[in-house]
Amino acid sequence: MVCKTWIDRFSSYFVIFCSVIIFAQSDVPRPRGVSLSKASLYLPTKDFTCFDGTATIPFSYVNDDYCDCFDGSDEPGTSACINGVFHCTNAGHRPQNLPSSRVNDGVCDCCDGTDEYANPTACTNICEELGKEARAEAQRVAELHKAGSQLRIDLIEKGNKKRNEMAEQLTQLEKDKSEAEKIKAEKELLKNDLEMKENEVLKVYREAEELEKQKKLDQEKETNLKESTEHFNRFDSNNDGELSIDEIKVVNVFDRNKDGQVDDDEVKMFLGGDEKVDKDAFLSTTWPILKPLLMMEQGMFKPEDAKTDTTETEAEENHEELDADFEGNEEDNSDLDLQEEHEEDETVSEQSKSYNDETQKIVDQASEARRQYTDAERTVREIESNIRNIKQNLEKDYGLEQEFASLDGDCFEYEDKEYVYKLCMFQKVTQKSKNGGMEVGLGNWGEWAGPENNKYSVMKYTNGIACWNGPSRTTTVNVNCDLETKITSVTEPFRCEYKMELSTPAACDDSSTSQEHTSHDEL
Amino acid sequence: MKVWALVLVAAFVIIGISAVDKNKFKTCSQSGFCKRLRPFKPEKSQYSLNLDSILVHGNVLSAEVVTIDAADEKRTVLWKYAFKLSALADGTFRVELDEADPLYPRYRTQLALDGEPKADGLKLISKDDGKVILVNTQGHKVIITSEPLKLEFLDQNGEVAVVLNENSQLLVEPLRARREKEEGTWSETFQSHHDSKPRGNEAVSLDVVFPDADHVYGIPEHTDGLALKTTTSGDPYRLYNLDVFEYILDSRMAIYGSVPVMYAHGPKRTVGVFWHNSAETWIDVVNYGEGNVVSSLVNLVTGGQKKRVDARFLSESGIVDMFVLMGSTPGDAFRQYTALTGTTPLPPKFSLGYHQCRWNYMDEADVRSVDENFDVHDIPMDSIWLDIEYTNKKMYFTWDVVKFPHPAEMVANLTAKGRKMVVIVDPHIKREPGYFLHEDATELGYYVKDRDGKDYEGWCWPGSSSYPDFFNPVVSRYYSDRYRFENFPGTSKDVHLWNDMNEPSVFNGPEVTMPKDCRHYKPPQDGLEGLAAYWEHRHVHNEYGLWNLRATNTGLLDRADGVYRPFLLTRAVFAGTQRYSAVWTGDNTAEWSFLAASVPMCLSLAIAGNSFCGSDVGGFFKYPEAELMTRWYQAAAFQPFFRAHSHIETKRREPWLYPAATTALIRDANRKRYALLDFWYTLFYEHTVDGLPVMRPLFQHYPDEPATYPIDDQYLLGDALLVKPVTTAGASSVEVYLPGDGPWYDVDTYVPHKGPRITQPVTISKIPVYQRGGTIVPRRERVRRSSALMADDPFTLVVALDANNSARGSLYIDDGETYEYKNNKYIYAKIEFGPDEMTYTLASEGAQYPTGAWLERVVVAGIRAAPRSARLQQDGRQTALQMTLHKGNDVLVLRKPAASMARPWTITFAY
Repeated sequence: MVCKTWIDRFSSYFVIFCSVIIFAQSDVPRPRGVSLSKASLYLPTKDFTCFDGTATIPFSYVNDDYCDCFDGSDEPGTSACINGVFHCTNAGHRPQNLPSSRVNDGVCDCCDGTDEYANPTACTNICEELGKEARAEAQRVAELHKAGSQLRIDLIEKGNKKRNEMAEQLTQLEKDKSEAEKIKAEKELLKNDLEMKENEVLKVYREAEELEKQKKLDQEKETNLKESTEHFNRFDSNNDGELSIDEIKVVNVFDRNKDGQVDDDEVKMFLGGDEKVDKDAFLSTTWPILKPLLMMEQGMFKPEDAKTDTTETEAEENHEELDADFEGNEEDNSDLDLQEEHEEDETVSEQSKSYNDETQKIVDQASEARRQYTDAERTVREIESNIRNIKQNLEKDYGLEQEFASLDGDCFEYEDKEYVYKLCMFQKVTQKSKNGGMEVGLGNWGEWAGPENNKYSVMKYTNGIACWNGPSRTTTVNVNCDLETKITSVTEPFRCEYKMELSTPAACDDSSTSQEHTSHDEL
Repeated sequence: MKVWALVLVAAFVIIGISAVDKNKFKTCSQSGFCKRLRPFKPEKSQYSLNLDSILVHGNVLSAEVVTIDAADEKRTVLWKYAFKLSALADGTFRVELDEADPLYPRYRTQLALDGEPKADGLKLISKDDGKVILVNTQGHKVIITSEPLKLEFLDQNGEVAVVLNENSQLLVEPLRARREKEEGTWSETFQSHHDSKPRGNEAVSLDVVFPDADHVYGIPEHTDGLALKTTTSGDPYRLYNLDVFEYILDSRMAIYGSVPVMYAHGPKRTVGVFWHNSAETWIDVVNYGEGNVVSSLVNLVTGGQKKRVDARFLSESGIVDMFVLMGSTPGDAFRQYTALTGTTPLPPKFSLGYHQCRWNYMDEADVRSVDENFDVHDIPMDSIWLDIEYTNKKMYFTWDVVKFPHPAEMVANLTAKGRKMVVIVDPHIKREPGYFLHEDATELGYYVKDRDGKDYEGWCWPGSSSYPDFFNPVVSRYYSDRYRFENFPGTSKDVHLWNDMNEPSVFNGPEVTMPKDCRHYKPPQDGLEGLAAYWEHRHVHNEYGLWNLRATNTGLLDRADGVYRPFLLTRAVFAGTQRYSAVWTGDNTAEWSFLAASVPMCLSLAIAGNSFCGSDVGGFFKYPEAELMTRWYQAAAFQPFFRAHSHIETKRREPWLYPAATTALIRDANRKRYALLDFWYTLFYEHTVDGLPVMRPLFQHYPDEPATYPIDDQYLLGDALLVKPVTTAGASSVEVYLPGDGPWYDVDTYVPHKGPRITQPVTISKIPVYQRGGTIVPRRERVRRSSALMADDPFTLVVALDANNSARGSLYIDDGETYEYKNNKYIYAKIEFGPDEMTYTLASEGAQYPTGAWLERVVVAGIRAAPRSARLQQDGRQTALQMTLHKGNDVLVLRKPAASMARPWTITFAY
């Protein structure tokens, strides 16, 4: 890791070095810890000027284990400067630049052991070995990439094919859409026309209905008043036009809790808190409470309890629906359709009243027009939805050559001790405990997030289920070259931030490794 | 490490409360004896000393003390007590009062003292007029007034320095046989917790008056500042080791530690008292110099004197056992306390470096990656810690074999770079069938017992848990042996320990700890049975953690055959803890106020013997943003124990997870720490010799400057460096108090400052630290990956000149990890600088250490007349040295003297 950073930092020298490495063993005189590229800056015949130009010192001060330059350039081969850099040639392997603090600290950092020169026996030169291993590894990787590239070509083909298909589909759908919209417009006209007629003929029926309704209401009111007065008179035993507490207390029906007596609470309830009620007050306050009780006694009224049962069941059903929503979004559309159908059923049933033949015919025609219009409308919506999906997919970034396109929607699973992880490419990542429980979303497809020069090496899935007391879960998928597409590991290096290693031929790149390969050949 | 219940974390976070649930913890009025006795302040003390019974033998005066019913003319004796006054070495007295013939023996705290205190001479001068006058060999007099009993301790000038029982609050509640129908005496209830109180009431109390004192200090662990405040409004300071979830600041509530030592300081003198008691303790303070104490009361009590502080110690059980430390300087008093309870032994050097901790590094790959990242980012680091998740289902002394299948290899990866590992072992034991520790402890009866004598079961991290009864030497021995390498596979001498939750923390217990009526081991003794055959948890509570630490320490010494120095960290603290363990201030929060609080909290602990103290860098709860994190590293780099730690539910916060600029600032802070590692190491060595704190309040060295008395946001390291951490957001300057004559040199620029007050501009990279003129500080500028890799690196000596162009310092060097220094394998050098020469001399006769370290550079700050030439002499050889004078800031640099630090040398100057 250490070496890698330093190599990164000094990659420019690295490249230069690689090109001249063959001569590394040759005796270009230079102070310890200096790379060939900088050798010319250290001339024993001249005073040394710090790279930053701040000081000039006798050449004997170079590598004398005392830091004279602010930039550390006078001590490339010792640990004297905290910001110095030590270069090891590592002949046979990759050269390295180390912070000076690693020089003579008892830890072998360079494979050639030159960083520990104070104790020559401390480190053995293992560069040959490491170089060999590295070359073998590079070879293996190159071969893998080569083999993988073949598969990748297939993937590219499939991907392009898929995209072409989608493009074709899109064109077709656009066509279908305008067609369907045309039909929809026609059906709408027809429907509006028929509905107008329907409205006209039904007007008569509606008015009659309204009249009937009013009549029924008036009747009910009258009956109620009559009943109420009857009861009032019956309870008003002293006929003074008022019901007093004493009068009520002798009437069984006021004993709501059926404890054999009419207590104060019950009285209060029926009299609305007053001592007594007159006839009007009886009608407005007492009667509405009393009537259901009377009806119940006569077995004509279902008690409230029975009703609550049904509401509970409804609540449960609602609950289930919610769960279903939660589990998968794809079902949303079908749910909508179902609802619409329900509505339609209702309109039909409402109108299945008996009309005369003429009217009935018009109503039937209107219903049929409505149905056809709804169908046409749905067709348009479906097509639009398909278009949206396809457009979305077409806009998705499937790699430079569409190499990831055919993987869209493919799902891969990985099991560890506790969980089963599932990655559905370009869709989502989920986790499910082996001990049961709900599937937890670890992120939905976000974007490619590799470094600039290798964008397609990292996928980011974001906005997963929020962590308890924390951020929403995200998953970073590192994409590596291999001959088979599979997940090779899943970890959670930071809380709620998951890391997946995915290997796939789509990530194999013959061209990029061939470069690396040649540079190794030179070693 | 963490909190008492994860569930609670949830509850708190969800409702957005981020502070302690005060209802979980008792106020004085909810604690039976505090409620009963806080108001106890009779006009006249019932206690009187029987002059005829006095016996002076050696350094001890013993006598009979009785309580007399004042209302009764016949002067009926109510109860008899045994009184003892001992003169101890180094200006210390001890006063003990126990029942003459108690119903059962009363508990005497066992482990606080570092062995039997050394005796001093005690001479009876006179005994008449109802007074006894005695004197020790140092000229401190004690005047005992017999009735009512009062003890006055006089300083060497003959002035009264400490008075006991001036306020008549001396009390030893006699033990009595059980009687019915006494509310609160034979049982107490707090929330749903019932305390059976089988012995009834047995509280003890004593008041102390400190004439001439401006302030009193000490009695950690609290969060309300170094100088203690008057407690008349609100509760007294409480000492009862408790696992307080999300503790709050500026509070007198009890938290994890209890060290009942108090110092009183004023221009005239410093004195101290040590209340040797391990039971729940409440301490009232009245400072008559404080503005908020009613002035008429001040005059009444102090007789017109302006300054006086009264304190009153009240404990639930035990005996009255008070040590009086006569001072007379702050340093004297601090030393007198460590003479009694011990010093922190020389720590392994790595432990003074930087520690990286988190609850939790989840597996070996995590550990490896954290380790590697420190090197990638070139930040020095000496140890990685593992919190509870490394265990197999919270069974200590085992590993989670899935996450940590190769612990030895993991440790080897660290040690290859000179680093160490620290793992946690909490005292609670999982009650799991098949777990060897649980099975052994059950079978052999090693657990603490409940009130009925059955194994006590509480709830902690593992779920149902029991607690070893370390008070039984067999249990302690057994526990120590668990640390042997063969019993704890995967560990080695490079794996050090952390004992957390040792208050003890019991999630479902009263106040999140063990019920007071649990039973602890008491050595069997003829004739003692029933209640007399065991100690109750109430007697020993504050001492429990110390027993745990002692057993661990023994185990760590034994596992390496006494060759290697162990490192151990604890959360529970008691008097004497410093002998075994470093301490930290527990589960703090990522807020600026908690960063600021780390200074007074550690200062309080330091003067109470616990120099090796630190706070979780970054804060345990919540997430520190970049600026707070930066300031916290910068502050902690100059505090003794330097460890970053965080809660498992918080965002990861290793230094490289911040923006690069912040990572760089953290790197700088850590490098500053490592450059001064030998300075720290020398201070810790000197602490073992002189008992003085490493981290010091300003008044310790400037006792005559009243402005220093209340200062607790800056401090001294040794007598050389003054540190003023930046503890506010967006600071562009800080006010610094520079005591004494100075000059004080800014360690970054060598610019001298004169006090008393300066405004120091600060940038985000600035840590205001000053070196006192007249001191020499050793540094190593070649900061490496870990302290071990720096062992043979050369030194830079920074000489800060005083008005006489001179300075002195010291340097301690040894192998950094073994006890070989006890066999004279070390160097303790005195370094002196004068206008004519600079000398490095080995101060310890016969001591040698073959260090490869050498003298790279001498930096002299504040030079007015630069010498013309300098010559080094060592081993009979002379070398001319090259010098550079930096005119801008009067700094002279001697280039590469290259003298070996293993042998003496001299540099002579010519003008």
